[in-house]
Amino acid sequence: MSNITQSLKGALLLGGIVVIIAVAAMLFAEPFYQRIVFIFLVNLIAVVGLQVFMGNADITNYGHISFMGIAAYAVAIFATPVVIKKTALANAPFGLANIELGLFASIAIALLLTVLIAFLVGTMLVRQSGTPASIATLALLVIVHVVIMNWVDLTRGPRAIYGIPVKATLGWATFCAVLAIVVARLFRDSKWGLQLRAASENIAAAGAMGVHIKRLRLAAWVLSGTILGVAGILFALFVGTISPKSFYFDLTFLTLAMLVVGGVYSVSGAVIGAIVVTLGFEITRYLENGPTLASFKLPEMFGLTGLFLGFTIVMCMILRPQGLIGHDEIDEIWDRRQRDRSRSNLEATASGAAK
Amino acid sequence: MSDYVLQQAFNALSVGGEYALLALGLAIVFSVMHLVNFAHGDMITVGGYAMFLLLLFGIRDPLLVLPFGVLATVTAALLLERIAFKPVRNASPTTGMLTAFGASIFIQNVALILGGSRPKAVPTADWMASSIAIGAVHIPMVQVLETIVTLAAIVGLVALLRYTTVGLAMRAAAKDVPTVRLMGIKADRVILTAFAISGFLAGLAGIFILARRGAVDPFMGFAPVLKAFVAAVLGGFGSLPGAVVGGFALGIAEVTLQVILPQEIAGFRDAIVFLLIGIVLVFRPQGILGERPDFGEKS
Repeated sequence: MSNITQSLKGALLLGGIVVIIAVAAMLFAEPFYQRIVFIFLVNLIAVVGLQVFMGNADITNYGHISFMGIAAYAVAIFATPVVIKKTALANAPFGLANIELGLFASIAIALLLTVLIAFLVGTMLVRQSGTPASIATLALLVIVHVVIMNWVDLTRGPRAIYGIPVKATLGWATFCAVLAIVVARLFRDSKWGLQLRAASENIAAAGAMGVHIKRLRLAAWVLSGTILGVAGILFALFVGTISPKSFYFDLTFLTLAMLVVGGVYSVSGAVIGAIVVTLGFEITRYLENGPTLASFKLPEMFGLTGLFLGFTIVMCMILRPQGLIGHDEIDEIWDRRQRDRSRSNLEATASGAAK
Repeated sequence: MSDYVLQQAFNALSVGGEYALLALGLAIVFSVMHLVNFAHGDMITVGGYAMFLLLLFGIRDPLLVLPFGVLATVTAALLLERIAFKPVRNASPTTGMLTAFGASIFIQNVALILGGSRPKAVPTADWMASSIAIGAVHIPMVQVLETIVTLAAIVGLVALLRYTTVGLAMRAAAKDVPTVRLMGIKADRVILTAFAISGFLAGLAGIFILARRGAVDPFMGFAPVLKAFVAAVLGGFGSLPGAVVGGFALGIAEVTLQVILPQEIAGFRDAIVFLLIGIVLVFRPQGILGERPDFGEKS
């Protein structure tokens, strides 16, 4: 089987799981749960985007959410109706208060802007590696947050932007999630993805074989930023109201926990991690608000979700640092199991025949 | 005018000193076990809440409360090493960094559940809030003390590393851990000492952070340590002199920008500082005093 078919098969297997969850939500779930599923899909896209850089370049990235924020704010500023902007963003620079673009134009501009910024940041970032690079991504998160908080004329600062047209549907989110999975998987299995992963195992050897490490890291970084931009746009167009707090440490912790629990090195890990952590997170969030269970009133415990995330990350690192899935994709693991089984069957019959 | 300059100079030295203390703690742990300790700031939080508890019990004498805070910070550092970091000691740097990151979130939320998100007042000593006069200039006592304590801590650390066996072992471990163990030094002892020192430095910095804020809250350790990380990277990650230089450079840059930036864009100060450092690192990726890593080294 050729490489591309294998990759597509694996990606569609994962996409199938996502589609089943989404379709089930569309058919059976109440709006409250549909909302949870939509946010799950947005987070899933973000985690897949994070995996593209973190898994292939093996550099821990704490700055991914900043691209979600940039794209969300860009689409909000271009797509929000002028009537609302008259009160919300009356002093917007560059005459943006009087500009209202169609949905697709706004999305296109937001994505272009995200790609451009990702490229500029990436050219600086790829000169670092290892820990300093991770700290640099953390600095990026802070820089973007500080700018959004303080450029009040453009972003309303710490107050929320409201009135963004609510156009995103569960269907669109599902489509984007499947697309992100396919793109991430194809990149991972491509020549560039392989070279990048080789470089993260042994940078000297890969460099000696002629791998353009910095250029490939930049490519992965920009692709990762683009996927995160898609997540940000979907988020803004679904929720209709965004504030800087939506794109800061809380979401960074959550998405990082998802990827780390599932396994950084595979797209399957990103998807499985997103599903598992979402389940755990929603359950702890339910408990956090002090529900009544079997006529027994539990106390409110603000901070329980954070505790859960921190605990999960630490335990995962101690017990299974490669994550639930490990280094291979699920279809590769499946194929290997099948092969092992048929081989052991073969050996069993052979030894039986020898007797 | 020169009075103003003198005042701001002391301000820069004390802010830089705080970053240097924290960055040194990060660097000393990193140099012996290649761990990026994201939970460094949360040890300060633990120390702060310990002081708050003591105040709750009615013990107000600063000569008891402040050392207790430092002691609690050191204990937190040692416990953290035993519980969270020992199991991942031989794993990759990424695993260690994420473990520390998880531990940091964990401690913050324990503090949030037990203490609530509201800041709790922890007054430090009155004499810290006073100021001293040098000629016509009044300089806050905190700033003077912080500068002196930072310098004393650096001198003490250099002495420890130069003239004691465990200091020698730590310097050696920064270069080659297996050989240090072959020489009959227990790796455990070296690492615990590194954490104790890092906790002690964090405790000192924590007292000054508290003296400035006057209150504890679950997330108080995060922002200063973020700055300390940037300082450590600027100075050269893992280099002890680099941590000091980076800390003071960051402090001076911050205060300078605060003075020269016009009011409208003062809010962007942190973004501008980080961006400037990013540009410095484009031209000198290894930091000011860092050594170019051997090719193929993954840290």
